Amino acid sequence: MIRGKGTLWNGVLLGLGFALMLAALYLIFVYVPTEETMGVVQRIFYFHVPLAWVGLLAFLVVFVCSILYLWRRDAKWDTIAASSAEVGMVFTTLVLITGPIWAKAAWGVWWAWDFRLTATLALWLIYIAYLLVRSYTAEESRGARFAAVLGIVGFIDVPIVALAIRLWRTQHPGPVVFEGGLAPSMLLALLVSIAAFTVLYILLVGQRVSLRNLGTELKRLKG
Amino acid sequence: MYYLFAAYTIIWALVFGYVLLLYRGQRKLRREIESLKERRDRTE
Amino acid sequence: MKGLFTEVYAILWKELISGLRTKEIITSVLVFGLLVLVIFNFAFEPGTSTRETVAPGILWAAIAFAGVLGLNRTFAAERENSCLEGLMLCPVERHVIYWGKLAASFIFILLVAAIITPIFLVLFNLPLFMPRLALIVVLATLGFASIGTLFSALAANTKARDLMLPILFLPLVVPVIIAAVEATGLVLDGRPWGDMATWLQIMIAFDVIFVIVSTFVFEFVVEE
Repeated sequence: MIRGKGTLWNGVLLGLGFALMLAALYLIFVYVPTEETMGVVQRIFYFHVPLAWVGLLAFLVVFVCSILYLWRRDAKWDTIAASSAEVGMVFTTLVLITGPIWAKAAWGVWWAWDFRLTATLALWLIYIAYLLVRSYTAEESRGARFAAVLGIVGFIDVPIVALAIRLWRTQHPGPVVFEGGLAPSMLLALLVSIAAFTVLYILLVGQRVSLRNLGTELKRLKG
Repeated sequence: MYYLFAAYTIIWALVFGYVLLLYRGQRKLRREIESLKERRDRTE
Repeated sequence: MKGLFTEVYAILWKELISGLRTKEIITSVLVFGLLVLVIFNFAFEPGTSTRETVAPGILWAAIAFAGVLGLNRTFAAERENSCLEGLMLCPVERHVIYWGKLAASFIFILLVAAIITPIFLVLFNLPLFMPRLALIVVLATLGFASIGTLFSALAANTKARDLMLPILFLPLVVPVIIAAVEATGLVLDGRPWGDMATWLQIMIAFDVIFVIVSTFVFEFVVEE
């Protein structure tokens, strides 16, 4: 984190995140009415969607930082990219776990190859590839370069993959996933939840970045 | 509903697990840095 | 402009010559592709309608896997002989190297596809003359080649390089595979051009976008 201002920022974010998460929990479990068709299980939605959103946001950050890294060759961009990818991977994994749980409870099937989950699966695979490239390359700087290339190509690919899967789905329709409008109370809960998770994302990436920086400093000390 | 409970439990397990990993990593690195600094100070 | 063309052609020629010297690669890749066709065939009951529906998928699975294998082997052989370092010594811009390699990979995969596809048509008792299928094969092959060339250069420099390329390559070419399979299915059903239009557009868009992106990004993969 930024020296000096670091702990202040950290404190603010932590407080904000805690407050938001508390608000989100209240909204999700107390405020929002139970949905008609699916019942209580539908509340998974209020975590599932923000997780997916943050997963995509994290990849956007990877994309931007990858470009910056290849352009400026400043290691800090690579550190942020790598950290964002890790956190994004965790969140995307959670999307892929909560999705089937919700699906099983609401529709009786674990996996229906529907558009959103399938596209998330593709994103997840690209994330894995990104993280593997880093660990499977001998030198660090090379690994960083390769990962940056993958970050750029991968991010550009994601909308195309999504488009292709969506078209594929319209050709071969399956069970309809949750659609339809949102009542204002639901929208509120969802938005607060998204905000809470975004702050959580920022906190986690910040921690991961400082962990990485510690590691680099350690290597420097060892000489 | 058990499914709802399962979903939330998994979310928190994973997030908490990741935070734990980060925390352990931090502790280990900080200890190494401290010991290195000690050794350097001792030899000076 | 003419100088550019000569440079690309020179690299392509060099690639082809060294590629053709390694006939073993081409033959083994072909055999592998055929095996995929046959094994997948056993996965499905003959004569049922399921088999007809999955036929396009089988074809493209075979081409995709054979393609990845071929790209892997070619770049591995290159690496062993330090060909890339030699190429880098040439006073050409990096993206020219990419285009030369792209052309070579394209021809290679096209060759593999051109042999596997007729055999596939025979095994599934389909008519052999299918110009629309040829178009699909060309577009999809370009898509495979664009991503494949970029990432085989990358994967060749990692540990576990044989596994790295499929892991990198396959998720990224999902749109090509989906589009190729769907379009092939429509062709085999005898549907008109209009139905296939969207899929062809996706493949063309993919090809254009990723040839361009790879051109810009290739230098970062091969730099020292």
